[in-house]
Amino acid sequence: MQPLANIAPLKPAGAIEVRNVGQVFKTTTQDVVALDNVSLDVKPGRFVVLVGPSGCGKSTLLMMMAGLRQQTSGTITISGAPIPEPDPNRVGVVFQEASLFPWLTAEENVEFPLALRGISKNDRRARAQEALKLVGLDGFGKRHPHELSGGMKQRVSIARGLVQDPPVLLMDEPFAALDEQTRMTMGDELLRIWAATGKTVVFVTHSLTEAVYLADEVIVMSPRPGRIVDHLQVPLPRPRTYEMLSGDAFGSLRDRIWRHIRKSA
Amino acid sequence: MQSGLGVKAARVAIVVALFAIWEILSRTGIVNPRLLPSASDTLATLGDLLQRASVRKDLAVTATEVVTAFALAVPVGALIGFLIAENRYFAEVAKPLLFFAFSIPKSIFLPMFILVFGVGFSQKVGFGFFSTIFIVIMSTTTAVESVKVEHLTVARSYGATPMQTAFRVYLPSMLPVLLEALRISMIFNLTGVILAEMYASRDGIGHQIATWGENFQMKQLLAGVVMIAAIAIAFNELVRWVEARCSHWRT
Repeated sequence: MQPLANIAPLKPAGAIEVRNVGQVFKTTTQDVVALDNVSLDVKPGRFVVLVGPSGCGKSTLLMMMAGLRQQTSGTITISGAPIPEPDPNRVGVVFQEASLFPWLTAEENVEFPLALRGISKNDRRARAQEALKLVGLDGFGKRHPHELSGGMKQRVSIARGLVQDPPVLLMDEPFAALDEQTRMTMGDELLRIWAATGKTVVFVTHSLTEAVYLADEVIVMSPRPGRIVDHLQVPLPRPRTYEMLSGDAFGSLRDRIWRHIRKSA
Repeated sequence: MQSGLGVKAARVAIVVALFAIWEILSRTGIVNPRLLPSASDTLATLGDLLQRASVRKDLAVTATEVVTAFALAVPVGALIGFLIAENRYFAEVAKPLLFFAFSIPKSIFLPMFILVFGVGFSQKVGFGFFSTIFIVIMSTTTAVESVKVEHLTVARSYGATPMQTAFRVYLPSMLPVLLEALRISMIFNLTGVILAEMYASRDGIGHQIATWGENFQMKQLLAGVVMIAAIAIAFNELVRWVEARCSHWRT
């Protein structure tokens, strides 16, 4: 029986709406427009990649979706409600490498968000185990970050982002510091995890190949001021395979992004 | 830092060799035994001294002063250092000034401490405090700066309260640097207190050592040196042992 209070929200869980968002940094000499009138809709369960040269505001936009930063103008809603401050129940964030706490073990790192909310030790451990299993790190929970490879550390970060089961996962260049092979493997792993959990993913990267390989949709941004210059649908079938990288469809998508970036770089 | 058995054996060998050379120089008369009593005589004297009630009392006096000065200087210095490092403006203003203060040899202020406090407990504790606090302040600012912005952002993104951030991010991040600071501060503290005792005091082990020196009691003097050295090394090693256990936190 459905309780009365369970009225369907205007936007289903996991939807992201960015409306006319602007961000201006005031310095002593001038105002720098980091983001200029950015609008974007991400439907629940989609894998969206933000790509663009340094200074295009893609990370800034991601930090706003995470509630870690406030826009100067415009609105952002996650699952239908604005996000004035971080809300781990709605959004999990995965950062670049070195975001794990070196004094905690892998499982303690994954438990960290739960520990902040005072969840009991047993519940925490059980949920951390589950999350570590999901990212393929079953049995590595007792290791400290310095005993893990770069790829494994990022798996722990992903597990930490997923442990509260938020509908949205935001990822800020999570594989930027990894070597090429590990990066490809981690991309496949992320797609597997994404398919298994059905999260909405917004993923920031510098790599055009990574962008096309992972995404349902690629948002291309340009700097000074930060704007969306293109929004591509990636029609490649899933699961994505390594062979697609050398195909014509893949190449033409990557070229199209590259032409935008070359213009603005 | 793990070192092999061979390295450890070599270290012991060097210490044993130093004592052996000391013994030989004195026994053979290469160095006048009145200036350099033999190692075995010195150690025997050390044993005698430790039996004496007066020496034990001096040690207790010094220990009380050292602990008091340390217990005051570390929290006060840490608090000041934290407040400075947490505020960018304060940090910018105060940092070079701290370096100035730190570079001045503290011993030149000792006569002023005697004039202000007189000869006694507060003069020695005061000078120990003064000798220690600058290094504590500077180390704490370094410790605060060793907290990674990424870690603070992670804590914030998972909704940590300021208290949770302090205890779950700041404290563990700072701990390795703080332990090192503790160790180095104690060296400054011990030096300060003993210097104050040697310069002007009625009791304390530093005062005893100065008296033995003035009276040309070389055996007692050397025994005192060995005693203080052993105590200082013991404390240092204890903290280093704890440090080694959390050294990977720095990575």
